[in-house]
Amino acid sequence: MSDPRTWPGEVRVFADYQHDFTESCDVVVVGSGPCGAVAAYELAAAGKRVVLLEEGPPFTPSDFELDGAISMARTMREGGLRFTMGHVMPTMQAIALGGGSLVNSAMCIRCPEYRFEEWAETADLSRTSRSDLEPHYDAITDFLGIAPTPDEVQGPRNLLFRDGCKALGYSSEPCPRNVVHCRGSGECFTGCRARAKQSMDISYVPAAMRLGARVLTSVRVEEILSNGRRVTGVAGCVVAPFSGAPGPRFRIEAKAVVMAAGVLATPLLLQRSGNLANTSGQVGEHLQFHPGTSVLGIFPDPVDPVFGATQGYQSLQFLRDGFKLETLWAPPGVLAVRLPGLGHAFQQELLDMRYATVFDAIASCDQSQGRVRERGKSLQPTMRWSFHPDDAAILAHAVWVMAEIFFAAGARKVVPGVANHPDEMHSLAEAEALRKRPPRAGDMVCASTHVFGTARMHGDPRHGVVDEDGKAHDLDNLYIADTSIFPLSPSVNPMFTGMALARRSALALADRV
Amino acid sequence: MTFVGLLALALLAWAVLRFAAGYGRRDPALRQLSAREYALVRSAAEAAFPPGGPIPLSGIDARIPEHIDRYLAALPARNRVLIRLLFVLIEHATLVFKAPGWDGFRRFSALSLEQRMAVLEGWARSKIQVRRLVFQGLRAVLTMGYFACPAVLRAIGLAPLAIETPVVDADLLFPPIGQPRSAIRFGVEDRARTVARLPLDPHGPLHPGFGETSA
Repeated sequence: MSDPRTWPGEVRVFADYQHDFTESCDVVVVGSGPCGAVAAYELAAAGKRVVLLEEGPPFTPSDFELDGAISMARTMREGGLRFTMGHVMPTMQAIALGGGSLVNSAMCIRCPEYRFEEWAETADLSRTSRSDLEPHYDAITDFLGIAPTPDEVQGPRNLLFRDGCKALGYSSEPCPRNVVHCRGSGECFTGCRARAKQSMDISYVPAAMRLGARVLTSVRVEEILSNGRRVTGVAGCVVAPFSGAPGPRFRIEAKAVVMAAGVLATPLLLQRSGNLANTSGQVGEHLQFHPGTSVLGIFPDPVDPVFGATQGYQSLQFLRDGFKLETLWAPPGVLAVRLPGLGHAFQQELLDMRYATVFDAIASCDQSQGRVRERGKSLQPTMRWSFHPDDAAILAHAVWVMAEIFFAAGARKVVPGVANHPDEMHSLAEAEALRKRPPRAGDMVCASTHVFGTARMHGDPRHGVVDEDGKAHDLDNLYIADTSIFPLSPSVNPMFTGMALARRSALALADRV
Repeated sequence: MTFVGLLALALLAWAVLRFAAGYGRRDPALRQLSAREYALVRSAAEAAFPPGGPIPLSGIDARIPEHIDRYLAALPARNRVLIRLLFVLIEHATLVFKAPGWDGFRRFSALSLEQRMAVLEGWARSKIQVRRLVFQGLRAVLTMGYFACPAVLRAIGLAPLAIETPVVDADLLFPPIGQPRSAIRFGVEDRARTVARLPLDPHGPLHPGFGETSA
């Protein structure tokens, strides 16, 4: 094994920047999350001179915080306190080398065939089917060692989901994840201390450096530079970790630009760069989420939930009905917020957490859309999003199904966490209230980390921002490689499909630059 | 002075008393919380986690206010404002949503423990979604502070397990945040060191920061 310090690539961290600087390269990639990291690697592998830019710092295990609140404040944009307007819903985006992969649960789910068919119909696409993307899914699978979560690290809380589904005749399966040698710490959301999760900062980014990529961290892109139909690079400034205090300015001149800044930052950067790539008027439109809500179940015997994969099991049974079910674990303080009561009664509930497991549902929400704009000149987004009543009804149904699975698995009580319903339900008969009087949108506590749609791919330049290679319709050398190009929800966790599309874009770009 | 002038003056005096007077001195060990915010956070922590309960640590014992101070320090400046607004809202919302008792219009931190618990219950059970969201926000901050206490996690049985962290290529490339690359303390020989890769034992040793010797 070679010494990484002898590799041709390099990394720069905040302490390395003393003065303004200008550099040049073949391709500059903006954003080191799963999509940007894949694109940077593939372009470097094709022999291109690549600069990968990331606003956040690299996190090492000594930087991880097990305390959920502090961890979120350090790893998430706006300290984890972002929310949508319209229907108020928290949404979290990471700011770190590796982007969301540092603090997500590593689920790598292929978008189903039928969903790609709906994409094709909606967005006039001719070569974005499941079979078109299969080679890209496969290559990433091989690279990251993506595999179903093994039984020995599931722990009781994941296996109870499997048992409940089985008892009801619902399908379920171990979640495929980009994790190798998982030890079942359940700490995916605060950074994997076991270094088992193959987040981008320990997988694709170092691999790109091995091939010569330059990785600049703690740099914030503020503008995409352009001249006519061509982009010429990006400009911005160095920012201090956490405080975001601005430092020296920089400019990267490039033959092509790949935007992988994420669904919220990519459209903002296009908008503030002279409304770039927006003759269609679609930049920043069609903002979509997978709102998720969770239900907690308490079992008669201890579940010892500190052990087990963070999200080890899932059910795709209801995908065509509009929702997906998963198991879930998070820092206990975050989960405990869902428990009812105050004072000593609340403390009594907390003691039940050793007996607890959590399921969650994410809804496709095709009818719920919004838009994103820049908040003043802050480079932060203002999101307006409405939760369509029909989509809310689908998620409400998922709450009932989760209660059903809990009782089928032997739970002694279920905490649905919805307003205008009992705090606790002790039998399936009691839970029937969830089916007979489904919670409304405002009754459910929702959050979402799955975002897409603000620079959508469309075969017709009048209706979309990029083509099927991710190239902007309006420009010859600007590519978008993040989940903003999704024309619709993938119905499953979006990371893997975003990476597959990014890989396809990178290979197409490598042939042209 | 006219009656209206006198009334305005009285209202002003009352507002000053309500919003500023009667708070203790600021604890110099706190980096973010003002004396007023500390009073609110402390009184809310006690209401959410009163002493003598089934978990032998109150919100004060678990040092929730100190945790919230650290949390505020970790937040971007702009977002601290949101949390501070939340505190102001809870402290003075008794003007609109009165606590039980003849003296229920006093600010939150001046209420008795029973009154404070009743006020929070009112927020939790409100028919108004925004009010419930405010309560959830406050309780989230308090609860995460409670769970930051190792003794609380041990009492509940949720303290994290010990894990030996292997050294990977990235550890030879990236320094801890804020430090220069010369601060990287790993070499190729560390990467070659073998560490356990087996599933953790749920009843195995705890993370050193959460063991019996931790606060």
